Amino acid sequence: MTMKRTKWGALAAVGVLVIAFGWLIYGGLDSNVVYFLTPKELLAKGAEGYDKPVRLGGQVKPGSVVWDDHALDLRFAVTDGAGEITVHSKGAPPQMFKDGQGVVVEGRFGSDGVFKSTSLMVKHSNEYKAPTKGERPSDMYKSLMKSPTT
Amino acid sequence: MTRLLAFDSIVVALAVTALGAILGPVAVRRGRRDWVMYLYAAVYTNFVLVTVSTLALVYGLVSHDFSISYVAQVGSRATPTFYTIISLWGALEGSIVFWAWVLAMYAAAVVWINRKREGNLVPYAAITLLVVVLFFHILLVGPANPFQPVFPVPFDGPGPNPLLQNHILMGVHPPLLYLGYVGLTVPFAFAMGAMLSGEVANDDWIRLSRRWTLASWGFLTAAIIAGMWWSYEVLGWGGYWAWDPVENASFLPWLTCTAYLHSVLVQERRGMLKLWNLNLMVGTFTLTILGTFLTRSGIISSVHAFTTGTIGYYFLAFIGVVLVSTLFLVAGNSDKLASEGRLDAPLSRETAFLLNNLFFTVFMFTVLIGTLFPLVAEAARGVKVSVGEPFFNKMTLPLMVALLFLMGVGPALPWKKAPGPELRGKLLPGLIVGVLFAAAALVAGTRNVYSVLAFLFAGFSLVVNVGEFVRGASARVTAHGESWIVALSRLVSGNRRRFGGYTAHIGVVFVALGIAASSTFKQEQEATLRPGETVTVAGHTLRFKNAWGREEKQRQVIGATMEWMDGDRVRAVIEPRMNYYPTSDQPVPTPDVRNTLRGDIYLNLMAFRQDGSTVTVKVIWEPLVPWIWLGGLILCLGAIIGILPERKRLAGDRRTPSPAPSLTEGQP
Amino acid sequence: MNWKRASIAAATAAPVIGLFAWGLTRDPNSIPSPLPGREAPVFALQVFAPGQGELMRPAGDTVRLTDLRGTVVVLNFWASWCLACRDEHAALSDVARSYAGQPVQFLGVLYNDVPDKGTAWIAEMGGQSYPSVDDPGARVAIDYGLYGVPETFFLDATGRVAYKHTGPVTAAVVRFKVDSLMAAALHAAPSPTAADTAGANPKAGKVQ
Repeated sequence: MTMKRTKWGALAAVGVLVIAFGWLIYGGLDSNVVYFLTPKELLAKGAEGYDKPVRLGGQVKPGSVVWDDHALDLRFAVTDGAGEITVHSKGAPPQMFKDGQGVVVEGRFGSDGVFKSTSLMVKHSNEYKAPTKGERPSDMYKSLMKSPTT
Repeated sequence: MTRLLAFDSIVVALAVTALGAILGPVAVRRGRRDWVMYLYAAVYTNFVLVTVSTLALVYGLVSHDFSISYVAQVGSRATPTFYTIISLWGALEGSIVFWAWVLAMYAAAVVWINRKREGNLVPYAAITLLVVVLFFHILLVGPANPFQPVFPVPFDGPGPNPLLQNHILMGVHPPLLYLGYVGLTVPFAFAMGAMLSGEVANDDWIRLSRRWTLASWGFLTAAIIAGMWWSYEVLGWGGYWAWDPVENASFLPWLTCTAYLHSVLVQERRGMLKLWNLNLMVGTFTLTILGTFLTRSGIISSVHAFTTGTIGYYFLAFIGVVLVSTLFLVAGNSDKLASEGRLDAPLSRETAFLLNNLFFTVFMFTVLIGTLFPLVAEAARGVKVSVGEPFFNKMTLPLMVALLFLMGVGPALPWKKAPGPELRGKLLPGLIVGVLFAAAALVAGTRNVYSVLAFLFAGFSLVVNVGEFVRGASARVTAHGESWIVALSRLVSGNRRRFGGYTAHIGVVFVALGIAASSTFKQEQEATLRPGETVTVAGHTLRFKNAWGREEKQRQVIGATMEWMDGDRVRAVIEPRMNYYPTSDQPVPTPDVRNTLRGDIYLNLMAFRQDGSTVTVKVIWEPLVPWIWLGGLILCLGAIIGILPERKRLAGDRRTPSPAPSLTEGQP
Repeated sequence: MNWKRASIAAATAAPVIGLFAWGLTRDPNSIPSPLPGREAPVFALQVFAPGQGELMRPAGDTVRLTDLRGTVVVLNFWASWCLACRDEHAALSDVARSYAGQPVQFLGVLYNDVPDKGTAWIAEMGGQSYPSVDDPGARVAIDYGLYGVPETFFLDATGRVAYKHTGPVTAAVVRFKVDSLMAAALHAAPSPTAADTAGANPKAGKVQ
């Protein structure tokens, strides 16, 4: 009898623990999940999409990049062909950031229509790319290559 | 030629393991001990064959034999030999070859060491090992075949992934990880052997696998720390842990294995938690396979994921087999695993271990759920989400702090009974030091509760665990008149498991201090500089001297020379670079780090003008980060101490009666 | 051995395995393309690699999407620097050849590359049965929301994007899609949406 009672007691304790754990996890996930959206999807959310952590995926719209290397201030538009969103980011972009490049930016979309980015990732198109002529660093950075190495 | 040798060895090994795995159970069931010898022979033969195959692949890599598909995929004539050799594990197929080889090695060693043991436990363990080996052979002749012919034979290849050939730690982290990951198959095999042979009620499987478990745990610990270090030195964001699925995959089995190392002591001493320990070990192995599945199948989005193919379906099938068979066996055997002892006192060593296990298990589930949630969310609601650092930090910080606290209390509590008045003397010094640590953190400016608690409990645990060494050694000094050094070494070698554990605890304290300090007091700044201009971060001034470029054999390098100033004097020269590999469309940022005991100056070159007139650098002050790597070393030292054989009583010791049993295993 | 308990425990593995099996049919890195089901962006690009036999279009010819109404179009974006493109090359070339004379047009689009390198690559790979066009400045790639190469778009006879495939295609995938699109064109049925047909084919893999 006592064996049985301890068994049920233990089961109840485990049940309570599991429920408490599940509730904690649910709360944690609910407030910390980052949605992965394209500009079109984010715009479709309207006001609901404002000020929530979002990963925005798309391409850098050609001709939209404005980079101030002294203020470390970067603005560009991300497009998915169906919608576009202006992104504002602080800090230097990755060296291969360029027009038409696939990017994923993480940050929040403000009600002013500007996406404030906290991190900017360039999407690798593939593992392997032989640079075309003129893209090789030795061509692009000729003057640097000649400067004395320390 | 090389290709055929390598491939045929795997095919023959596949046949041999399949034969062993099928005929082995027949032999054991019929009680034919003479046939079991053939089972063992299959394990040894497999090891020889896989070794031949692995060496052949390495030879193919080094001799640039581009007729082998794997060499054509990752090889390049320009790559230095060191990186050519380690590209063995740089891509999916090679990593499976390496895995199979490590597993074959473990299997052969386990069987050789235990070949004379009576009973069916070892034969069944050998069969389990063969089944796992068989799975990897199937991968190697199927979806992950690195030995496919390439025609026409290319003259040169693209070389390994640039990120993987940019740092020497790439030669250290993966082998350690495989040694740890794969090694956990051994205790799993013993657990399966125990269940299949019916020898599950006694502790033999635990005793036979103890050193294997500890060694695997040590390798896994070292691998995780080395992985953090690699990530810190290479990726350029100045952090070492991002809760990426690949990192989580190595961390999950570590959590359950660490829980097991503690709870198994309760079983050995008190005959409790038998079913639980079996579950932990089986779960640990399942998590290693699950982790491999997650990272190799491309099912979860990750920065590090390998390229994908059909291999995911094979892994899924294997996970299915493992899950179904282990759940079936463990549940089926649960009747035999009743506890012998009971919890006698609410505040005893056992309670500390139980709480430890509870926290580690909750920790594991938290990380597992966070890792799998994107998959669940997409399945259930069709939305693409990612679970980022905030979730993991919020959920796991309380657990980490609680575990840090337990690590200090546990060693001070006695087995079986409630602690007596001596507890105060053990805990009080620790508490004082802990409060000092916490006060220092408060003065340094943190108001984060977890940070303060982490410093408090780190100081506390450090003193309690060091205190165990001091108390034991000073008792010897008084009793035997030994010098402190002799007393300490005899103390440790007389009870290696216990003091190995305390050593590991001290290592954890160092890691915790490094993590707490660097995540609380890290300061960073980006700046665009002209030559001669300076930037100051956390009181450290850095001056930009010049930008430069140079050609190297396999890459081109653009760098910035920065001087770490101490007044007018140059304290150190730091050169962050960007490496351009011909096979990548992106340069690989190569941060440069200057380590000091107080912390690191971490520089990353972010951008530069084409003519070198300005550069943009990120400067990070990373307090106490080297302590993490130091702590990792101490953790491994703890594992080594625990593995070494116990000292036989030395001649000098014989005169005195051996220390009372209370001085062995865990009793303070 | 407690068989009942053992069997119940073993059964609990099913949902986990089911979830993973489902997960394998998805590509977590893919970003949903807004294109499937919509009008395909039109283009007019010059042929630089003519193709072979019946499928040949002379180099310098301009291919206009608007001229291809009424045929199924398979648009494969590729580059000479792309490794995965090597994997799918033979399959695509063979499948295209086997559809010669039927209302389907295979077209390679060179992405971020120069035609000379593309021609050399085709020669190295042993030829390409269908023509390839150059996309200077990647304008068309941007219109199609390309994330990388290879990516293959399947356009139905009415000029809508029916499917998009990320990563290398296999012969089975291409055949399945081309066949179903040609069948749809024959029955003049509304173009199938991505979801219902993709699910019917286990080999379709990472289809969106």
